[in-house]
Amino acid sequence: MSSHAATGHIDHHHDHTTSTGIPNKKLLWWAFLASDCMFFGALISTHLVYRLNPPPGNAIPTQVFNIELTSFSTFILLMSSLLMALAVNAIQKGNVKSTRLMLLGTMFFGCIFLGGQVFEFGHFVHEKHMTLSNSIFGSTFYTLTGTHGTHVAIGVLLLGMMYVRTFKAADGSGFFKNFVHLAAICVVMGVSFIYVVPGLIEVIYGTELMTFVHHAATPLILGAIAAVALVILGRDHGPLEFGEKNAIDVETIGLYWHFVDIVWIIIFTAVYLLEYL
Amino acid sequence: MAEALAKSSFTGTGHAPAKTFDLFPRPTAKTGLVGWLTTVDHKKIGMMYGGFAILFFLIGGLEALMIRTQLLVPNNHFISAQLYNELFTMHGTTMIFLAVMPLNAAFFNLLIPIQIGARDVAFPRLNTFSLWVWVVGAILLNVGWLSHFVPSWKFGGAPDVGWFGYAPLTSKVFTPDLSTDLWVFGIQILGVSSIVASLNFIVTIINMRAPGLTMMRLPVFTWMALVTSFLLILALPAIAIALIEVMFDRNFGTNFFEVSGGGQPILWQHLFWVFGHPEVYILILPPMGYVSEILPTFSRKPLFGYPIIVFSGVAIGFIGFGVWSHHMFTTGMGTIATAAFSIATMAIAVPTGVKIFNWIGTLWGGRIVTRTPMMFALGFIWMFMMGGMSGIMHAAAPADAQQQDSYFVIAHFHYVLIGGATFALLAAIHFWFPKFFGRLVPEFWGKLSFWIIFVGFNCTFFPMHFLGLNGMPRRTWTYDSNMGWNEGNFFASCGAYLLGIGIFTYFAVLIYTFFKGEKCGNDPWDGRTLEWSIPSPPPEHNFASIPTVHARDAFWYEKHHKDEIAREKAEHIQAEESHGGIHMPDQSWYPLFSAIGLLIGAYNFAQLHHPVIFGGKEVLSTHLPLAIAGGCVLLLSCYLWALEGPAGYHLHLDADGNPTDSHGGHY
Amino acid sequence: MSAPAATESAVAAHHEPSKFHFYIQIAMILAVITGVEVVLVYLPLAKGLVVGTLVTLSAVKFLFVIFYFMHLRWDKVFCTILFFIGLILAGFTMFALLHLFGAEASKPLSATAIQTSAAFASLA
Repeated sequence: MSSHAATGHIDHHHDHTTSTGIPNKKLLWWAFLASDCMFFGALISTHLVYRLNPPPGNAIPTQVFNIELTSFSTFILLMSSLLMALAVNAIQKGNVKSTRLMLLGTMFFGCIFLGGQVFEFGHFVHEKHMTLSNSIFGSTFYTLTGTHGTHVAIGVLLLGMMYVRTFKAADGSGFFKNFVHLAAICVVMGVSFIYVVPGLIEVIYGTELMTFVHHAATPLILGAIAAVALVILGRDHGPLEFGEKNAIDVETIGLYWHFVDIVWIIIFTAVYLLEYL
Repeated sequence: MAEALAKSSFTGTGHAPAKTFDLFPRPTAKTGLVGWLTTVDHKKIGMMYGGFAILFFLIGGLEALMIRTQLLVPNNHFISAQLYNELFTMHGTTMIFLAVMPLNAAFFNLLIPIQIGARDVAFPRLNTFSLWVWVVGAILLNVGWLSHFVPSWKFGGAPDVGWFGYAPLTSKVFTPDLSTDLWVFGIQILGVSSIVASLNFIVTIINMRAPGLTMMRLPVFTWMALVTSFLLILALPAIAIALIEVMFDRNFGTNFFEVSGGGQPILWQHLFWVFGHPEVYILILPPMGYVSEILPTFSRKPLFGYPIIVFSGVAIGFIGFGVWSHHMFTTGMGTIATAAFSIATMAIAVPTGVKIFNWIGTLWGGRIVTRTPMMFALGFIWMFMMGGMSGIMHAAAPADAQQQDSYFVIAHFHYVLIGGATFALLAAIHFWFPKFFGRLVPEFWGKLSFWIIFVGFNCTFFPMHFLGLNGMPRRTWTYDSNMGWNEGNFFASCGAYLLGIGIFTYFAVLIYTFFKGEKCGNDPWDGRTLEWSIPSPPPEHNFASIPTVHARDAFWYEKHHKDEIAREKAEHIQAEESHGGIHMPDQSWYPLFSAIGLLIGAYNFAQLHHPVIFGGKEVLSTHLPLAIAGGCVLLLSCYLWALEGPAGYHLHLDADGNPTDSHGGHY
Repeated sequence: MSAPAATESAVAAHHEPSKFHFYIQIAMILAVITGVEVVLVYLPLAKGLVVGTLVTLSAVKFLFVIFYFMHLRWDKVFCTILFFIGLILAGFTMFALLHLFGAEASKPLSATAIQTSAAFASLA
């Protein structure tokens, strides 16, 4: 694509080095998503099959679920999809700063979703006494939503790696800075979805704010330090080796992220909403 | 168009020079241990797959011979019942996952790029990763054997739950030892390897074809490889989920297959066979591809009915997803379900039959040359057809009620798997051996091995049809002498020994040929497809110039339009030179390191609730920290892999086609 | 394999008005649909109608995301075909499994299954 870079015209819809015009990475990722459809299909099937003839002693979903929280989480994930689409849009126009902002936004919304799940799981186990092993509903529910959550977490990690990539200097310096930067991202994201978001949800549901701060003191401090590190590391020191030509990579991660969102659309309907009928 | 050629393929990094992020310099050795461990060359990868596969094929054969020796006479005590269970489990697992599938993978790797006119696959490092992950899976499946030799290593022996691991036998209650956990992880990891490899091949076949190579001009083998790759990525997720559910049941107390918790073991059977049935088409479609290349070559005429053969292959793959419960006719699914799956199973015979008629049509009126590959290919058509007939008998659910779990089933699938898949593989090895090793296998010994195999195979498995119809069940360690099965078993076991001698002869001849065989040129068979246009063995860059394809059987066209092709080749070489030369991918350590991380992670995660004993003392109460360590190695390796980027170097060919490379010029 | 001229025109077409506002609009529609879904389960309507509407609304959200956010609308149609192969196969498999397990013959022996040992003991 060297001639393209020289003239500044990159066609993000057509790669003429391939037989079909579809970039290799994009084709690979769509094929992978087709495979992932079967993966989640089998998992969702397991869950639904076991809802056909629930055995006695099974957990009763409508008594366990908190549909307001889950609806909010669904909305959050949809918004994260929007931010992801905007990130791809930004990089296709060569706007690196906007791309970074949108990537961060996507990650944060992803962490809010994950934090909601962490809260939800904790709540179901401790207050509703539904565990992985004490009912078939527990087994299928946690495995299905947990697998989805793991996909989201992996997505956040990939987005983090992409975010760090946007800082790569043209002179090839800063190899070890990558690891520090990525570590800072992981700490911030980890603290937010494991401690901050669930904690804040608890506060909304009535826990004292200071109780939460007390319990989460160490992670909060670590998170704050990492956040400061992110601000420091998040500055450019000269020309970047990242730009419009890397749009395909952002787009590919975007495909993964959107897929995780559409799987949730199905899970929300099939696992949560249908139980209320 | 010439421009597009020059900017071809896998790396696509046409942007301005940039420093890559390397922890240490990328390996460049082309020979020696480092060369092989870090290679991204599809041909080397293919050879490694092939080498490992042949090793496991022989191991699987030994497992089978031990089974047949135990069954030689009634009430035999050659081996214990426990060992017998391990043997039939591992024989099936080994032959399917560690022999036939990697042999097919070997051919995919060796042939696909050169049949489509490419220099490598779309993602070379991912290809290496698939190979090493496969090795990890093979290790996990077989490490249990060590318990037999070192009793203090408590793996519980090799897996013994059958290659299909039915629940609830696989639960902790019935099989508490580690053998099942290692089986679960082994198969899971093999699945990862296959999915990754298939994604790579799908992108390669669809996106990296030489100019002029439309889909309907692809060699049939490449088409079958494409369909197989689709089957793999779509079928493996089902067993991945099933294995996760078993693993959770065993380790986290879930109730997926635990009746007392509300689970239903039959779910395992469904999920397994949703994978398991497409799996058998995964095993047989590539062999159908080999045969579709070999028959035209030795009939001296083009393949009869190319479009319909391709379409039938696709149809078989597609319908194959709808027949899985024909493995469950006796589980009481209800009339409608049984009838539906019965009809679908019969339907699949149609495209299969169409292919057979087209192969016969290829032979009809041709000038048949009965070289060894042709003998195996002809044997394939006949033996596979016989396997298909017993298969159709199974499709009738009422008849299957008697045949299920009897030796009739064993007869059926060995006819399609040995008579079908293995014969085609043996044909393919002979056919393409000259291409990749530059030597011809002696005809006499090749044909001799064929006949011994053919006779031995039929003596082993034909009697099993009758043993099954006379009620002999599968997976029984021994039988009483008054059941009427004595002669059949004795004959079958003798046949097995003969088959063993035949296989031994076949591979001994190959080894001899590798060292001392008669050398040959690029086109010993007067072939029809592009791989025969390049030297034997092929150079690392495959083609001096990327060909333009004008017709099906591209090389046949080239041979009959020599001037036109010569001019095109000169143009292409010039175009590629003007863009900096032939672009080749760089080698890498990270695929190997990632696989090692996966090995450490999986090996320890399988032993999650077991304490870590070192030097006789308990060091850790659980293997979890070690599993996490393995996971960290995996993640770190993957990140470094991403950071190093595809990079690549350039080759320049002199007038004689000898390459000089620009290493050190990481651009 | 297209000649440079063809890509020039494609490039020219690409530098269109930004899709920024379009994406925001899609997101708003998705949010509204989600809200409608949640309200719907509490409305006193026939169960079949509610299920049908929920499934339809989910499908609409699904299609919006894949065709617009995931760009299938503007990409080569092969990407769509590829994805739909996986989607339709997964859907078919789910449909088949649900019917298999929903069949009368497949119903577990429910409550009494847990007390199976007592039942068999009486048979022995």
